[in-house]
Amino acid sequence: MINQKKNWKTTLQAYLYLLPMLLVLLVFCIYPIVQSFLMSIYTKYDFFTNKVGAIGWDNFRYLFADPDFYIALKNTLIFVFGVVPLTIVLSLIIALMLNKLRWFSSLFRTIYFLPFVTSTVAIAMVWNWIYHSNYGFLNYLLGLVGIQPINWLNDPHYAMWALIIMSVWKGLGFNIILFLVGLNNIDNRYYQAAAIDGANSWQQFLHITVPLLSPTTFLVTVNEIIVSFKVFDQVFALFQNSPGPSKACLTLVYYLYQKFYIENKYTIAAASGVILFLLILVVTLIQLSYSRRHVHY
Amino acid sequence: MKTNFWKKLITVVLALVLSVGSVLSTSSIPTQAAHKKTTIVFWHGLNGPYRKSLDTVVADFNKSQSQYKVVAKAQGNYSALQQKIMAAAKSQTLPVISQATYTAVPDYAKDKLIAPLDSYLGSAKLKGIYPAFAQSSKYQGKYYSVPFSKSTRIMYYNQDLMDKYNIKKPASWEEIQKDGQKLKSKNIAALTFDKSFDQEWEGLAKSAGSTFVDSKLKPQLTSKPVKNSAKFIMNMVNKKEALTAGEDLYGDKNFTSGKSIFYVGSSAGIATMKQHAPKSLKWGTMPLPSYKGKKATQFAGNDLVMYKSASKKEKQGAAAFMKYLISKKTTIKWAKMTGYVPVRKSAVESSEYQNFLKKDPTAKAAVDSLPFGFQSTAFVGFSEFRNDLVSTVDNMLTQHKPVNQALKDLQSKTKTIINQK
Repeated sequence: MINQKKNWKTTLQAYLYLLPMLLVLLVFCIYPIVQSFLMSIYTKYDFFTNKVGAIGWDNFRYLFADPDFYIALKNTLIFVFGVVPLTIVLSLIIALMLNKLRWFSSLFRTIYFLPFVTSTVAIAMVWNWIYHSNYGFLNYLLGLVGIQPINWLNDPHYAMWALIIMSVWKGLGFNIILFLVGLNNIDNRYYQAAAIDGANSWQQFLHITVPLLSPTTFLVTVNEIIVSFKVFDQVFALFQNSPGPSKACLTLVYYLYQKFYIENKYTIAAASGVILFLLILVVTLIQLSYSRRHVHY
Repeated sequence: MKTNFWKKLITVVLALVLSVGSVLSTSSIPTQAAHKKTTIVFWHGLNGPYRKSLDTVVADFNKSQSQYKVVAKAQGNYSALQQKIMAAAKSQTLPVISQATYTAVPDYAKDKLIAPLDSYLGSAKLKGIYPAFAQSSKYQGKYYSVPFSKSTRIMYYNQDLMDKYNIKKPASWEEIQKDGQKLKSKNIAALTFDKSFDQEWEGLAKSAGSTFVDSKLKPQLTSKPVKNSAKFIMNMVNKKEALTAGEDLYGDKNFTSGKSIFYVGSSAGIATMKQHAPKSLKWGTMPLPSYKGKKATQFAGNDLVMYKSASKKEKQGAAAFMKYLISKKTTIKWAKMTGYVPVRKSAVESSEYQNFLKKDPTAKAAVDSLPFGFQSTAFVGFSEFRNDLVSTVDNMLTQHKPVNQALKDLQSKTKTIINQK
C-alpha cells in the first residue's frame, strides 16, 4: 500500500482508513476545543439554552482582574518548575541504575511502574495518611531524626511541597520506562569504542548517553510539562475537594473547575481554559525550537 | 478457503444480531403491557445505609401505587449529583425530581430548570411542616422544594472525659470557652469543629442578632454580631481551646481519640459516630448551647425539587411521591431508619417516634434543636458565596488572616456576587 502510486483513488482510500479515528478526534477533541474557544468570548450567554446575547473580551478582562487567577497562574508555574526537573533527573538516575541491574530488574521496573497505573484517588488517600499532621508516617520519620512535625496539608507553606513530592513519585514509573527504552536503543559499540579510547564512565555518560538519549529526554520533558500544566486530580484528591490551605495549591485547571462547577461561570471557565491552552502552546513551541538545535536523532 | 472463512464469520455475526434482536423484541412486550404506570425518575446523592433506606421507602410507595412508579437512581455523592444535574440540564436529559439543597433553588429557578410546586401540592401545601423547613422551601413567594433528608448541627460530648475533668454539659458557648481555659493545662481542647466552622459561626451570629446575609439580601459580614462571633471562635482556636479537623474534614476523629471533650457536627454524623467510636467510650449528644443568651442551630441536608422539563403526568406523580414522603407515617419511618429529623411536628410528637427516641437517645438532640433551627438566606450565586465563605474561614485558620480584614474582603465579594446576578 505504501508503495502504491499517489493518485485520487489511493488518497481517498487512505482517508477512508483514517476516517474512524478522525471522526473520534473531531467529536471528542476538535469540536469541544472550538466550542470552548467560542464560549470564552460569549459575554451574555445562557449555558442551558445555548443562546448567545453578546460577545466580547469581558471574560478575559475578568480573569486579569481576578487575584485568584494570578494565584492559580503562580501555583501552576511553581508546580511545573518543581515537578518537571525533579521527575526527569530522578527517573533518569533510576533508569540508569535499572539498566545496569542484571537480576530483578523487571521486578523493580514493575514496582516503579505501579504508582502510574494506580488510580490517583487511591494514591492520594495513602499520601493523605502519610502527610497527616497527627498520625502521619512522614512526620514519624522526621521525628526519628529530630525534626519537628510538619503540618503538610494544613500549612500553606508546605502544601505545595506535599503536592510536588506526591506528583513526582507518581510520575516516575512512566518516565523510567521511556528512559529505559531510550537507553536500550543506544548501540553498545559506542561505549566499547569510548572505553578503548580511555573514557571513564562519567565521560561516557556525558558524551554518549546524554546526547544519544536526547530524543527521549525531549519527549519526556514535553510530555511532563504538558501533564504538569494540566494538574488537577492530584490536588482534588490530596486536599479532598479543596484547593489546599488558603488556596496554596489552586492550579489553573482547579480554577477552571471551580468557576465551571461551583460558581456556574461557564464562559469564564472557558476563557481560563483558552489561557491555559495558549500557555502550553507557547512553552511547547519554545521547546520545539530548542530541540531543533540540541536534540540529536 | 479465505472466502469460506468470511462467509462463516458473516453468518455467525448475522445469527447473533438476529438472536439478540429477537430477545430484545420479546422482552419489550411485557414492558409495553406494564407501561400504564408513569415512571418518575429520581436522582439522589445518598450512599451506603442511606441509599438502602431510600430504596425501602421508594418500594413502599410503588407498592401503594397503581399509576406511578418511582425509580431512584444514585448519582454518587452530593457534589457529583449537582454536577450531573448541570450536565443533564445542558443535554436536556434531566430526571423528574432530585435532591437539592434549598440554597441551590435560586440558581435552578433563575436558569428555569425547576418548577414551582404550589399547584401540585394541593391546598394543604406544606401545612404541619416545621415552619423553618416550610420557609426554606419557599423562594420568591413560591414553593420550589419539599424538605426531605434534613439534619441540624448538634453537640457530641465525651462523658468519660467530662467525669474525669469535672466538666458539666455546657449551657452556653461562654461556658465552653471557660472549660477550654480550665483544660488548657491538661493539654486537651474543649471543643472540635469540622474543617470549617462556618455553620457554627453563623449560628453564633444569628444568636447575637444577624445572619451573614439578611432577608433583604444585604450582606452583613462586617456587622457587629458576625464579626464578634468570628472573633469569639478564632480566639478559642488560636489559644488551642478549640480545634478544627483540618485534613480529617470531620472532627469526629479528634473527638473519639480524646483530643477534645465536645464536638460540634451534623446530626447526620451520628451513624458514623456509632460505627467509629470505641465501644468503651461513653458519649452522647445534646443541642447546641446558647450564645449571648440565645440559641440557634443551622439546618442542613437536602430538599427535593421537581424539574420543569418533566411531562404533566410525571409532575403529578412526582408530587404524589413528595406528599407521600412528607406524610406523617413516612417521615417517621424515614427518620427512624436514617437519623434524619422528621419534618412534621406531629411526627415528632407521635408515640411511635417518642418510643424510638427512648431506645436511641442520641437522636434526641437533633429533634430538640428544631424549635430554634434557622436557615441561611439563599440567593442566586449562593454556591459561589459559600465557596468564598469557606475560603475566608480557611484564610483565618491557615494563613492567620486578621478577622477584620478577612470579613471586609468577604463583605465586598458578597456584595459583588449579589449585585451581578
